Amino acid sequence: MLDILSTYDTTVLTTLRSFNTFISRPERSQLQSERSAESGNLQNQYKRQMELLEAAERVHTQHRYLQLDQEKKQMELSHKRARFELEKAVSESARDLGHEVDRNQELLGRIRKLEERETEAKKNLSEQLEENSSLCKKVEGLNKKLEERDTLLNAANQTITSLKDEIRDLRQNIQNQELTISTQTLENQELQEQLDLQRRKYQEVFQRCQSLQDAQSSCSEHIIKIKELETRLALQEQDIVIVKNVKSEVARLPDLEKDLKRLRDENAFLRESRENCSLLKEKVEGLRSKLERMEKTKEELVNMELEKEKLQAWENLGQSTGLNIRKPEDLSREVIQIQQREITLKEQNYALGSRVRSLERSQSTLLAEMTQQSSKIMEEQNKREAQESLVRRLQRRVLLLTKERNGMRAILESYDSELAPSEYSPQLANRLKEAEEVLQRTQNHNMDMEVLTFSLFQVELELETAKKEQVSAADSCSSATKEEVNILRQKIEDLEKERQRLEEQNNNLEMRLERHNLQGDYDPVKTRVVHLKMNPTAAAKQQRQQDVEVLREEVTRLRELVRSLQDGGAVGLSQDLRKQMESSKLTNQRLKEVFQKKIQEFRTVCYVLTGYQIDITIENQYRLTSVYAEHMEDSLLFRKGSNGNMQLMETEFSKTLGEMVALHLHHQKSIPAFLSAVTLDLFSRQTTI
Amino acid sequence: MTSTLKGITLKGSTELVADFFSFGINSILYQRGIYPPETFSRVTHYDMSLQVTTDSKLKNYLTNVVSQLKEWLYECTVQKLVLVITCLETNEVLERWQFDIECDKSAKESSAPREKSIKTIQDEIRSVIRQITATVTFLPLLETPCAFDLLVYTDKDLVVPEKWEESGPQIIDQSEEVRLRSFTTSIHKVLSLNLKHSSLYEQFVVLHLTCCLSARCVALVLCVLLSFIFAGFHLSLH
Repeated sequence: MLDILSTYDTTVLTTLRSFNTFISRPERSQLQSERSAESGNLQNQYKRQMELLEAAERVHTQHRYLQLDQEKKQMELSHKRARFELEKAVSESARDLGHEVDRNQELLGRIRKLEERETEAKKNLSEQLEENSSLCKKVEGLNKKLEERDTLLNAANQTITSLKDEIRDLRQNIQNQELTISTQTLENQELQEQLDLQRRKYQEVFQRCQSLQDAQSSCSEHIIKIKELETRLALQEQDIVIVKNVKSEVARLPDLEKDLKRLRDENAFLRESRENCSLLKEKVEGLRSKLERMEKTKEELVNMELEKEKLQAWENLGQSTGLNIRKPEDLSREVIQIQQREITLKEQNYALGSRVRSLERSQSTLLAEMTQQSSKIMEEQNKREAQESLVRRLQRRVLLLTKERNGMRAILESYDSELAPSEYSPQLANRLKEAEEVLQRTQNHNMDMEVLTFSLFQVELELETAKKEQVSAADSCSSATKEEVNILRQKIEDLEKERQRLEEQNNNLEMRLERHNLQGDYDPVKTRVVHLKMNPTAAAKQQRQQDVEVLREEVTRLRELVRSLQDGGAVGLSQDLRKQMESSKLTNQRLKEVFQKKIQEFRTVCYVLTGYQIDITIENQYRLTSVYAEHMEDSLLFRKGSNGNMQLMETEFSKTLGEMVALHLHHQKSIPAFLSAVTLDLFSRQTTI
Repeated sequence: MTSTLKGITLKGSTELVADFFSFGINSILYQRGIYPPETFSRVTHYDMSLQVTTDSKLKNYLTNVVSQLKEWLYECTVQKLVLVITCLETNEVLERWQFDIECDKSAKESSAPREKSIKTIQDEIRSVIRQITATVTFLPLLETPCAFDLLVYTDKDLVVPEKWEESGPQIIDQSEEVRLRSFTTSIHKVLSLNLKHSSLYEQFVVLHLTCCLSARCVALVLCVLLSFIFAGFHLSLH
């Protein structure tokens, strides 16, 4: 292929070269001959060029032809080669196929042999498996036997071991028990020793107990004595307190006496003034009553004046009204007359009113009649008009007929006039007859038409009247029918709405019923709800009510207590407290009485024994009056100082005892000696005197 | 406890239903705290542990009611058993536990045992009692002292025994219902229902929970618990 291409190229190149040389020759020749003859060579040049072009084209085509030939040859060669190769390939493949087929057959034979061997092998396998299974079973049987024997052996071994363990345990138990026995004997001995100790201790303790009991009895006796002494102490302390209180109260006595005197004087004074007061009050009351009476008389006066004025007015009335009035009776009479007049006038009024109404009614009826009559008149007018129109029509018809008749007559006359010369009478008579028939027909037709029109006109009139009636008087009928239709339609609509509403209600009620059933509602016709009478709710409610009642009672009781406590303290106390209060009051009273008695006794005893009556005038000031005093006012005043010493105060009586004061108090510093000296002195004076 | 009979007779069915009521009422009383928990003791029944009261008065009352109920169940004249919880202070009905009983009256005439194993019935009863215990979690606590009563809805033509009397239906107005599972012995069918007084907050929660129980989804229950807590916060804030 490449050689061919190279030859192709070389031929191309050679041809091109030849072509170029061919072209260049004429150019040279042209150049050579150019100088010689330029003008006459143009055409030759042109021809040569043309020839050259043609030659070029030929060359080109030849070139092309050569190319195509070469291509064709090449294609043929390639085709041949391809065919050759393909044949080779085919032969090779056929050979391969044969080889393959042989191989296939060989393999198939092998497969068959192998399959036979497989089946044999399977049979062998199955036989062997059976043998195996049988052997296995035998083995299993043997194994089981072996196991059983093993288990038996194991069981035997276990029993042996357990028995051995038991033997060991028993031996240990024996040892333990022996140990315990020994320990227990030891313990027993110890316990016995302890017992002896305890017995000895018990005896000691018993002795101590006895001694303690003796001591306790003595202690209790001492305690009793102590309590007695304590009670005595307490009583004495109470006595002291009472004495102090009584002394303080006694000190207040002179003040009280002074107040008493003052109050008595005031009393007397007030009594005197009271009498004066009463007198003055009586006077005041008398004056007041007079005042009231005067005021009343004044009011009466005023009233009387008013009445007088009224009466004057009444008197003037008579003059002002112009009637003969002197007394109120006249006035009443006049009033009655006026009232009677009024009544009569009212009656007349009512009568007139009723007459007016009746007249109005009659007027209305007359109006109605009038309208009816007018309507009737209208109808009759219409009828008359119809009749008149009819009359006119009839007159017109009559005119028409007369005209026709005249015409016909004229025609006939003309025909008669014409008939005389000619003898066309039968034809003319026929024509006449035909014409008359036609005439009659037309006349009949006319009559019918007129009748129709008349009837139509009548119908129209009737329609109009009917319409008028409908509009004027019987308007309500058509409207009634229309109204009826409307009413019925409305009724239908209302009924439909009601139906829908009822359907909705029904649905709602059914839903509600289902809901209620779900919630536990029931139909009393079919079901009944029961429960036990003694059920926990009832029991709980009862219990609750009881609790509530109990609580209420307690509340009322407590409220009463509180109220009574708030009202009066000592009175509202509870019974216990009251009793305590009363008992304490009683004890107080008794104590007071007892103390008073005792004090009195003591004072009298003191007075008797010492000869002096000791009074407490003011705090820390004591006044002593002697039994043998010459005057009631003779008394000695002693004051207790802040340091506790008693000091004699200056009194009139003590001024007379200056010597004794100097001797006993200043010199000897002993108040009892002074006091006894004073008593002796007074006693001596008394006895001598 | 297993019986050797293969099927369910009318008598057997009444025994099962009466047992269920006895244990169910006991567990409701324990769960709702009507009686103090120390008066209850634990027993095993239906392969689960249940609480039964030891108070003699209450036991007596329950046995009376249940024995009468057995008679009525045998005659198929009872329609409903209702446990009503009332507040003692306001005398207001707070809760109703309603058990609708549907009886197959043809079982009376045929008297042939029906094919239903006791095990499945016991399983169903167990699931109902478990559901009752679960519903108590979203019911409000009964703070005021309460008492309970057992009402029986029977046919109108029934003769009222001497210790029983007629009563009102003790309905709650404005209530919410939670429908629980039902079980059937193939002769008696028992449907359980709980009604309680509603409030705005509880309506919100109950809507969630009724959806949950019907869907039987644990995850949903957890979500609802979360919403419960959230609503609790919301309320506390207010």
